[in-house]
Amino acid sequence: MTTTLAGGRAARRQTMRRIRPRRSPATVLLLAVWAGAVAVLWLWWHNTPSIADQNGKILNAGRITGLLAGYLMALVVLQMARVPALERRVGSDRVARWHAMSGRYTLCLVFAHIFLIMWGYALQAGKSLGDIVQQTIDSINQLPDMGKAAIGTGLFVLIGLTSIGPVRRRIPYDTWYHVHLLTYGAVFLTFWHQITTGNDFAVEPTAKTFWYVLYGSVTALVLWYRILTPIRLNMRHRMRVEAVIEETPGIVSVLIGGRKLHRMGAEAGQFFRWRFLAPGMRFSSHPYSLSAAPRPDMLRITVKAIGDHSARLRELTPGTKVWAEGPYGAMTAQRRSRGKVLLVAGGVGITPMRALFETLPGASGDITLLYRANTTQDLALWDELAAIADDRGARLMYAVNSPDGERPDISAERLRQKLPDIEQHDVFMCGPAGFAQGVYEALRGAGVPARRIHHESFEM
Amino acid sequence: MHALKKNRPLRRIVLASAATVSGMVLLLSLKPHSTPDVGLAVPAPSSSSSSDTSGGSGGSATTVSKTVTGDTIQTRWGPVQVKITIKSGKLTEVTAVQYPTDNPRDQEINSFALPRLRSEALQAQSADIDTVSGATYTSDGYRQSLQSALDSARG
Repeated sequence: MTTTLAGGRAARRQTMRRIRPRRSPATVLLLAVWAGAVAVLWLWWHNTPSIADQNGKILNAGRITGLLAGYLMALVVLQMARVPALERRVGSDRVARWHAMSGRYTLCLVFAHIFLIMWGYALQAGKSLGDIVQQTIDSINQLPDMGKAAIGTGLFVLIGLTSIGPVRRRIPYDTWYHVHLLTYGAVFLTFWHQITTGNDFAVEPTAKTFWYVLYGSVTALVLWYRILTPIRLNMRHRMRVEAVIEETPGIVSVLIGGRKLHRMGAEAGQFFRWRFLAPGMRFSSHPYSLSAAPRPDMLRITVKAIGDHSARLRELTPGTKVWAEGPYGAMTAQRRSRGKVLLVAGGVGITPMRALFETLPGASGDITLLYRANTTQDLALWDELAAIADDRGARLMYAVNSPDGERPDISAERLRQKLPDIEQHDVFMCGPAGFAQGVYEALRGAGVPARRIHHESFEM
Repeated sequence: MHALKKNRPLRRIVLASAATVSGMVLLLSLKPHSTPDVGLAVPAPSSSSSSDTSGGSGGSATTVSKTVTGDTIQTRWGPVQVKITIKSGKLTEVTAVQYPTDNPRDQEINSFALPRLRSEALQAQSADIDTVSGATYTSDGYRQSLQSALDSARG
């Protein structure tokens, strides 16, 4: 087949007709979150006729922080419910960052709430701020559901502590993850005191209903998307390891077979969370991108041995059962808004780029892949990439360190020199954080608008 | 915000805290600081012969005496309800029929708050009474129940 026939203006028009960029629903979602927060504040406003004195101010500040914390807590859990709209359209990495950010904020609100309410109660009982500890103990003993709330708060403290940067880096990922799962228990335990002692819920039955609906729907979504959906997926597709192939030193591909795999709805650029049912690997699941477009009988991931888990992958034996959850990830062809695309891969970040390089529709010369690695030996999957480039008339470039270890120059000028019409491209990028940051700045300097730089961080 | 834009975590923390605190202070200061003026003039003794209205003790045709029970107000700690007696247009007695007693702290609060609320009400001859510090919820409930009783006495 000659590629020249596929080129030309007609083919490009054909391609463009298929490009319908889907905007991420992030803005709409954020607006909805803000609207909810306003509704919660209105609830307080509506139920509070007046504030009598200093003590009243403290108690009301405590109530506002409590209401907001209760509201946000539901959203923090929702962000991790693996809802497809979030995972596939906003992007898993972005949602995870939202989760971390709002989780921290919510915990701060929880602590402020406890402090303010207990201070207020102490003043109410004619005591001073110094008696706050005794007041807290009394309240836990005397008020309904406060014992549960106290245990839940203890769990939140633990979860918060294990998530602080330096602590998180020092403990194994699996420990951190399993501690994090306690969040469900903590949220359940702290829910009830909101209903039984919350002033706004006592006086306003509609508010109580609203709260039940909020928490109820989040629970339903978690059950559906985190438990039932994966069970159904794995029952239907029954995946097993077919083969493990060493690509370059330290990088292996795992071929995974199964039934009707094309029905999983996975697209190039997406990933699954994989759990290999082999000794020592059963209890942790890890996100790895598909390194080739999914085939009806075969999926492939390519993984660099950086952590414990990825190092063990090479010892997988064919026939090992595989449990997968997904597909997740928003860095697919749907993000594209232009005819021309530049793919940028850093190291093992090549995996989703390899799949996109093969499948992104485009005429000859529309698709360019820039592959950055330390040495030419580290350019995993290179032969495949060269074959694809050849086949579809795409451009393939690599950048490696010079023999004396000097880093290649990826600057705005250099990019413009290589791709004079770079500002007309959509850019898809995957690689380590520092690399992605550098390339992002170079691309912006070369005139690529931020909205056309699509990046997914695999260091979640 | 693009994920790769330089983010300054410290600045974000400071901004978030400042926005939260100032928003809260704003909300708190926008609320009226004294109790809303529910000002009520107990109606002058009318010439009507009506005596008792709602389930109170009967009064003779000459002494115009009314006993009215106010609404039950749900507070965080439980229901509060008062019963008032009006003689010749004057509020002469307020009794708390229901008040929270669920836990030791309630009893402690009620023992000092209820007598004070009663005397304030009798003095003010209206529901325009101050909150007893340390018994915000009970005071609120008391005030509302008293107001409703006075309303129905007037109506």
